[in-house]
Amino acid sequence: MKAPDFSYFEAQNIEDAIKYKSEDDEAVILAGGQSLLPALNMRLSSPSCLIDISKINNLNEIKIEGDFINIGALATHSDVMNNDLVREKYPCLVDILKMVAHAAIRNKGTHGGSIAYGDPAAELPAFAVAMDAEIVLSGLSGQRIVNAKDFYLGLFETDLKSDEILTAIRYPFLSHNQHLIFDEVCRRHGDYAMAGLMAKVELDQSKINNLDLVYFATGDKPNVAQNTARLVIDNGYDYEKLKKSLASEIDFAGDLNSSSEMKLHLATILINKILNKLER
Amino acid sequence: MSAKNSVNISFSVNGENFDDVTVPTRQHLADYLRSQGLTGTHLGCEQGACGACTIEMDGVAVRSCLVLASQANGSSITTVEGFDDEVMQKVKNNFLKHNAFQCGFCSPGMLMTTKEIISSKKKLSRDEIRSEISGNYCRCTGYQSIVDAIEESINEIN
Ligand SMILES: Cc1cc2nc3c(=O)[nH]c(=O)nc-3n(C[C@H](O)[C@H](O)[C@H](O)COP(=O)(O)OP(=O)(O)OC[C@H]3O[C@@H](n4cnc5c(N)ncnc54)[C@H](O)[C@@H]3O)c2cc1C
Repeated sequence: MKAPDFSYFEAQNIEDAIKYKSEDDEAVILAGGQSLLPALNMRLSSPSCLIDISKINNLNEIKIEGDFINIGALATHSDVMNNDLVREKYPCLVDILKMVAHAAIRNKGTHGGSIAYGDPAAELPAFAVAMDAEIVLSGLSGQRIVNAKDFYLGLFETDLKSDEILTAIRYPFLSHNQHLIFDEVCRRHGDYAMAGLMAKVELDQSKINNLDLVYFATGDKPNVAQNTARLVIDNGYDYEKLKKSLASEIDFAGDLNSSSEMKLHLATILINKILNKLER
Repeated sequence: MSAKNSVNISFSVNGENFDDVTVPTRQHLADYLRSQGLTGTHLGCEQGACGACTIEMDGVAVRSCLVLASQANGSSITTVEGFDDEVMQKVKNNFLKHNAFQCGFCSPGMLMTTKEIISSKKKLSRDEIRSEISGNYCRCTGYQSIVDAIEESINEIN
């Protein structure tokens, strides 16, 4: 199908984009367009105007700031994967991005776009929650920082206000005994997952000290499974027990490819896959 | 600050300059290219999944159904028609030899992706080739013959 009619505004700087957005409730930001344009082509939304931020300078920088690696909103998935700092400090992010869409899409799709869109099936929002990332937002009244855990409110619903633009994501460094391990089940390499898991593991020798489990493609947003993580630390992998715990903790929502029942099963076995990946 | 429903843009396609052309803001690049007779760029799904509309924009592969024509302002574009050097001739011959063009619908996208694979200069296993072309759907060959053609092209060229 073809996109509905809309007008187009190419923002030269963040201030222009914020001003335009605050004046028009129906206008939406266009970054890489790899989620927005499919939605428009399918006529799932009909904005009045696209505010193109993709030409704004310096919004794609990747740099170290204190104890954080700071990824500018406009850095594309390919930029991030090929960045030396990321490859050195965050190799797990490179592995995750290999599972995000296909090369031609990664060349356009942006880190900020994925975080801002908050697709419940996307890898990066769950990664940001698991990593305790900080999300940097700019609006009419200046800048504010929101913790990723508080940013995702519901299905495609975030704490982004109507005059705000996401400008960067800040990931704290992992300490030497912390590991971010991820796995997912999908139908075709690069497609959205049927269920996926980001696990932040803190080891003391070979014992798991701390565990954060954050699921994607399971419910309405990145789903944190705190009680289940506790059970894993205390008892290890027990399919029936963990499945029961997950069922009580997450409101699994089925989609075209997998029922909620199937997602619950996949979510459970993903814990086993993660534990097997842990080199202890 | 003003927003309009059409914009004037300039860019180049396959070395030919398009200066100050007017495009509707809602038009994606694939439709614009096809309207100019460049029908080698195919449209399958218009949601990024099938890969038939893959083109090269400023040196990198993109889906032309997921780029607005207005966003192409200032860029340099190459479509499947524009890749006809010695290397691509070899690739096309290998596609013919292995019967990797069947109905031909996916072929432009497959050729563009093969071009990216060849320029990366990597020797890829058959599994790796499959993963590289995972963003391109083919509904007739079962991929076997396409993987054969790409494998032979890599061996011959790289
Ligand atoms: C075939 C296909 C397969 C895909 N598979 C996957 C996958 O497996 N996993 C995955 O995670 N993603 C996948 N994607 C999506 C891809 O990763 C997108 O690039 C990404 O989700 C959105 O980034 P974008 O820059 O393209 O955003 P856009 O499409 O430009 O924008 C998306 C939304 O976010 C808003 N937005 C964007 N940037 C900002 C900002 N800086 N501030 C405020 N709001 C903003 C826009 O207004 C819009 O509502 C796939 C896409 C396609 C087409």
